[in-house]
Amino acid sequence: MERRELERTAWAYTHLRGLTAIPGGLLFMLAALGNWQVGPFRHDWVFLACVLAMGGAYALIARAYRERYGHVTPSTEQQLRAAAAIALGFAVVLGGSLLLRSRAGFSLDLPVNAIAVTFAIVMLATYAIGGVLRPHHFAVYGTLLAAGALPVWHGEDPANIGLVMCGACVVAAGVLDHLAFARTFPPPLDA
Amino acid sequence: MLDLDRLIHEPGRLAILTVLSSVTDADFLFLQRATGLTKGNLSSHLSKLEEAGLVAITKRFVRKKPNTSVAITELGRERTARHWEQLEELKASAQAVSRSQASQSARRSASPSLVRPV
Repeated sequence: MERRELERTAWAYTHLRGLTAIPGGLLFMLAALGNWQVGPFRHDWVFLACVLAMGGAYALIARAYRERYGHVTPSTEQQLRAAAAIALGFAVVLGGSLLLRSRAGFSLDLPVNAIAVTFAIVMLATYAIGGVLRPHHFAVYGTLLAAGALPVWHGEDPANIGLVMCGACVVAAGVLDHLAFARTFPPPLDA
Repeated sequence: MLDLDRLIHEPGRLAILTVLSSVTDADFLFLQRATGLTKGNLSSHLSKLEEAGLVAITKRFVRKKPNTSVAITELGRERTARHWEQLEELKASAQAVSRSQASQSARRSASPSLVRPV
């Protein structure tokens, strides 16, 4: 019996319910379509309707997890660490994007995909803070980081392509997280 | 000789208390998933732990379905932490003994002339 493994089950419950991340990943891609004004996304209300639909999908998926895997309230320390990770994530994505490539006077204006780079770093840091960093996180977000850091992003700001890449990675990592989650919480013996 | 807490030392109960010591509370289904125990076993272990005052059990209805929520008490947290410390001590002393035995046998095999023929 491993003490640390048992203590980390609550972290796994909080961070590896991967299917709940999929609506968020799709929202990244829909935001890019909205920015490009593709088809019905010319109308602002279409994106707002998508946000509501994704919110509903998230609620349904979270409920399915509760009914299938039960419920746990994380400790105060875990809740504080999760809140700190989210706040830090916003700051890094915003600050990093402005610093690496933007119209701001202090921007380094590098030929990189700033959103992809900063988002990959934040996601890897978030999983590490949660103590649930797995090889597939390195594979998915390492690829995103490498692709974003390649000095090939010349020309117009590639923010929208970055959003699509981030969305695809969130969906891929979400599916792999769910598989890891299902391995961590196998069905009860008498189910 | 260490005096181990027999109530906590049972693997199922130790698993329950260890999981609970890292959360605020958890429901029956989560504990079943996290520990791999059957419903009957989990239920019986929880009753014993509740009797000893190591966990607090709250029964309620969530969306018209019965739900059992379990939280570790301060006493349970202290006794679980102490038990794990004792297990770590035992593990460390067992490792020290096996290391000294290994080094003794290595010394014997390195100097065979010291061994008397039988």
